[in-house]
Amino acid sequence: MLIDHAIALTEARSHVAALADRARSIEASSAYEHVLFELDWLHDDDVPALDTTGLPHDRGMLLAGATAAIEGLIGHGIDALRIELVLAALDGAWDLDAT
Amino acid sequence: MYGENAGRLRAELGVLLSQHRVQLRIGGGGTHTVPVTTTTDERQQIGQQIRRYRQSALAWCHQGTIAVAPTAVSALVRAPTNPFLAASEPHGALHAMQRTLDHTVRTSTATLPTLDELTTPQALPLVESWRQVARAAALGEHDFTTGLGQGRLDSRQQQTVISDISAVVRALVVLDQRYARIPGWEKLSHADRLGWGALACALDASLEPPDYSVDLRGWRPPSKLITGPAKPGLLGVLQAQHNLIVRMRTFPNVLNLRLVVDSQRLLSGSLSKLAESGEPDLAKKWSSREQTYKTLQQTLRNVAGNIGRGNLAVAEGSNAVSRSTALKPDAELDPRALHGLDKLFDRLDNRIADVIEDGVRRNTYVVRVSVPELAADSGRMIAGLAEQHVPFSASDRLDLSELIKSCLRPSASPLAPPDAARSRAELHAAIVHRPRGRDNSIEM
Repeated sequence: MLIDHAIALTEARSHVAALADRARSIEASSAYEHVLFELDWLHDDDVPALDTTGLPHDRGMLLAGATAAIEGLIGHGIDALRIELVLAALDGAWDLDAT
Repeated sequence: MYGENAGRLRAELGVLLSQHRVQLRIGGGGTHTVPVTTTTDERQQIGQQIRRYRQSALAWCHQGTIAVAPTAVSALVRAPTNPFLAASEPHGALHAMQRTLDHTVRTSTATLPTLDELTTPQALPLVESWRQVARAAALGEHDFTTGLGQGRLDSRQQQTVISDISAVVRALVVLDQRYARIPGWEKLSHADRLGWGALACALDASLEPPDYSVDLRGWRPPSKLITGPAKPGLLGVLQAQHNLIVRMRTFPNVLNLRLVVDSQRLLSGSLSKLAESGEPDLAKKWSSREQTYKTLQQTLRNVAGNIGRGNLAVAEGSNAVSRSTALKPDAELDPRALHGLDKLFDRLDNRIADVIEDGVRRNTYVVRVSVPELAADSGRMIAGLAEQHVPFSASDRLDLSELIKSCLRPSASPLAPPDAARSRAELHAAIVHRPRGRDNSIEM
């Protein structure tokens, strides 16, 4: 894994983990956690540690950051269809969190 | 289980020690009021049968000393400060007893009882008691290889086992002297040494307070999967949770462990809400368990480890969650099922704690490294990829031991069975038992 890829992945994981921690319900938190599993599973669990420094407090901004970082993974050789599935799972978790 | 088998052994030896006129009990003479009912040859055969049963008890004692001796430290010797170093001095009294037991077992002409002899009830109560002794000893030998040997016991538990073995050896020595007049009886070789060795071990062990929680260790029948269609209601959750514990015998990789942890967080959360009205104490406990699993889940995000499986455990965890969410909020929950579920939660918590400790110790589970550490400038033209994972021992960022100790294993030392001390006291009393005479005086 190249450094750029590792940075993009850390950003994506950290944003999703922050969303899971700040979810309004346990079910929504679990749904975000499953997005995190998907990301780790895509990389055979060979991923860097989370970096929580400088993350926004606003959940909308966290979602935007997570979406952008996950989309950015396409440029690092990850299959676009699988990225779309992760994004769909993220949207599902967001909807669950909003209800 | 050790407590069950050793308790049975002690109880039957206690019965035998309370029986004094042995010749009368096997149909021999001794008093003019009771007729002789067996011939000398028959009594000789009975003696041989008893010696075969006794051989089984001796083998139990010998196996016990072999299991605990490698890591046993005498209470007279100061234990090494480094727990990873073996004691500088061996346990003298235990090794002496072990050597004598080895000699006694090897020189005895009696063989171990056959399976038929162990399982067929005997007509004479005295011989039947010996059969029970042999049966308990044969079953008890399994305990030493599953849960009691190979350094699995702490110092106090080891001393308790040594004390138990000593008591059984002393009981066998006393009985050996009492049976000397049975025709063809073969006395224990080096019986005096055995007796002194057992006494030395018992005195050494008595220097530390006993830990009877050892009774809960040893061999247990393996639990099996509850197969078939999902049971209705809360029983379905119990079924899935039981199967999850069985499936967790397989070591899981970190991704699957995280999924199991997630399932337990969801399950504790949903069940604590359901139990709030009927069982508020359980609801509170499970709510706290949900928090524990939330913390564990957050910590495991920075842990990696591809070794292991655990797919089937994940499936059972998922079953448990889906069945618990399908329960109606106003459904009446059987308190027995809820308490059963609580026990399963405790067992799973212990298993997860074991898995994490095992993974950390063997470096199967490692800590992820953050990007700044990965991108650190090595001073070369092209930066090579740094280590992406480090062992827990080399990382000061993550420490799961506190969480395991305080939350997953809140009661580190299991309680001892209620009759553990009594069973031992009864055997010790039986060893020094003397029959009362007609005037109620004790015969010497």
